[in-house]
Amino acid sequence: MHKLEWICRLAIVLLVCTAGVAVPAASDTATPPQLVETYDSLADTILAAKKTEWNLVHTILATTYGHAEGMAKAALAKLDRGADAGSEIEALAALVAQIGNEGDAGVAAIRKRLIEGGHHHHASGEQQGIYDPGFVIVTRDAKKQFLDSSKSIARMAKSPDSAALKSAWDKVAQEFKTLHEGAH
Amino acid sequence: MILFLAGCERGPQPDPGAAFHFVDVAAEAGLDRVVLAGRPGKDHLLDSAGTGAAWLDYDQDGWIDAYIVNGWKLDGDRVVERGRNALYRNRGDGTFEDVTDRAGVGGEGHWGGGVAVADYDADGFPDILVTNFGPNVLYRNRGDGTFENTAAEAGIESPGWNTGAAFLDADGDGDLDLYIATYIDQSTDEVLAAERTLDWKGVDKVAVGPFGLPGAVDKFFVNEGGGRYREATSEAGLDDLGEGFGFAVRAADLDRDGDQDIYVANDSDANYFYRNEGGGVFREVGLWSGTALDANGAAQAGMGVAIGDADNDGALDIVVTNFSEDFSTMYRGDGDGFFDDVSATSGVGKVTYPSLSWGALLADLDNDGDQDLVVANGHIYPQVDAHPEFELSYAQRNQLLENDGTGQFTDVTDLAGPGMAQVRSSRGLAAGDYDNDGDLDLLVTHLDEPPSLLRNDSPGGAWLEVVFDVPPEDGPIVGTEVTLRVGERTLIRDRSSGGSFLSVHDPRLHFGLGSADRIDLLEVRWPDGSRTELTDLPVNQSITVSK
Repeated sequence: MHKLEWICRLAIVLLVCTAGVAVPAASDTATPPQLVETYDSLADTILAAKKTEWNLVHTILATTYGHAEGMAKAALAKLDRGADAGSEIEALAALVAQIGNEGDAGVAAIRKRLIEGGHHHHASGEQQGIYDPGFVIVTRDAKKQFLDSSKSIARMAKSPDSAALKSAWDKVAQEFKTLHEGAH
Repeated sequence: MILFLAGCERGPQPDPGAAFHFVDVAAEAGLDRVVLAGRPGKDHLLDSAGTGAAWLDYDQDGWIDAYIVNGWKLDGDRVVERGRNALYRNRGDGTFEDVTDRAGVGGEGHWGGGVAVADYDADGFPDILVTNFGPNVLYRNRGDGTFENTAAEAGIESPGWNTGAAFLDADGDGDLDLYIATYIDQSTDEVLAAERTLDWKGVDKVAVGPFGLPGAVDKFFVNEGGGRYREATSEAGLDDLGEGFGFAVRAADLDRDGDQDIYVANDSDANYFYRNEGGGVFREVGLWSGTALDANGAAQAGMGVAIGDADNDGALDIVVTNFSEDFSTMYRGDGDGFFDDVSATSGVGKVTYPSLSWGALLADLDNDGDQDLVVANGHIYPQVDAHPEFELSYAQRNQLLENDGTGQFTDVTDLAGPGMAQVRSSRGLAAGDYDNDGDLDLLVTHLDEPPSLLRNDSPGGAWLEVVFDVPPEDGPIVGTEVTLRVGERTLIRDRSSGGSFLSVHDPRLHFGLGSADRIDLLEVRWPDGSRTELTDLPVNQSITVSK
């Protein structure tokens, strides 16, 4: 049983116990105020969990972007030295794809579990086609942009060109900046 | 090298002008065993998952035989009948003999799913892997017309909801390793107790899933020699991190670097493209190779896979069949491991949108020099028939899309004869030239019915079939690729493992050659990288190539 469910059940049990066995007045049909208060607290917890989820996904994106930025620099530095940067470029492509996908396949599995449990961070946004199911920050349009960019970058791995890679990375950086600004 | 001309007698000819003509001859040919599929209402997804079919020449007599996997019949939570798989021996006269009992390949009472065929123990005879809901069965071909189940000894029973499988030499060591996809983590009790509780379009209750049910993880087994396998999923970089609802698996050299990659169609999840990095280590590159999602970045409900060169540019392309009210996706390859979704521009997307598609095939069915596309269709919810307002149906027609030679497809199902006019809930699809007349016939499985054997009576052009004669000690045949140069055209085919929907195509490689009367060059690239070249060959023959 989940922790939240435990807390909720415990609160209800305590309320029932503290309410005693007194028979309420016939005119008193309101929901017991203690239950309303508990529900109010629980709502805070639920809403806070959603905010926590947003913060976590935001951190995943920021971390992945930071990793990608470092990889882009490493790849460009290697190319400037005339060294083979194929591995770095493919790693960069993978990281850019992960930004578009709000994480790797492991994160996707968690997202799937949340959807299966009925949790949609942007239910209305999903219905409007703005977000893919379960996505928290990356919109469908942004996702496509990052995925297209990742493929463009990956194609450079076998015949890299420093200027082209820098241009592609600058595009990703701009896309991420736009996403970041739009997310707040 | 041995050459021999095959007989070319044809059946009834189609109307003049029609490019395709298929006739179902399953009943008269003796393919009569019903494929059982759970409950009539399809209360669980397993009830409607269906089974695969395989063509193989188990007795090495030059006539391909048919193997059909079977499921169970249920009544509520009661098992009414455990279906038996069927092995039909090709008599060579257009009919088949049911040799299941004699061969000992009935399925061991398990609820069957898919089939893969390969000579896993390198004794020269094709063996049969049956993937099950339950422990897998590996039928080792003894070479005398009988088989024995060696799955436990081989270490690949791996109980679960196993689906697609592919044998491949992943590490280049000369033996066949094995990838097995899995679908959902469910027990038999859960299947038996299933109730239709998922709301469908607000009008009916249907089987739950796959969302809402836990995904199972795919597995990879490395061949240790001596008929034994060892699970090496993580070691090979094949961890199914997304716990995708896996169905079809196909091994192929998608990036043209000489080794076998693995493609997995996942239902409702991103598809996987595991690129072989050499030495038996893979890297999942689906997202940034353009093969995981559709052009809009959305995951689809992958069921089946076909791989071939749809536009005759020398690069392999991928077709993935998907759920109803979503198109089958054609990913056009650039030969370098990158793909673009061309479903909208190739003509494939629009015509496949209404259907729920499973088996998939890229093959030259009219022998005109390009690969046409066949998809096997059928819905999973019988309940849709009660709601005609949605213009869907449980039983659906399979579809044949003709290739114009450039990768542009047109739906010609209406012009393809009575065999393609059948309306059923189809699943498995395997192509093979069972009558050795130079064109490919189609074996199709359906839910709760016997299979169809669609004899190809199309008035096609010239053809070539390639048979491989390789001593087992010289390595596996799976992964061999053949390139033909015919005038200005270059045609490629690969000896695959996996693909379609849980099914296996003819082990021979088939080429349609149109009006050509000579083949300028036939080049074989063997899995170990060595090559064999033959020049100036006549058409309309089955040719055996030795390594």
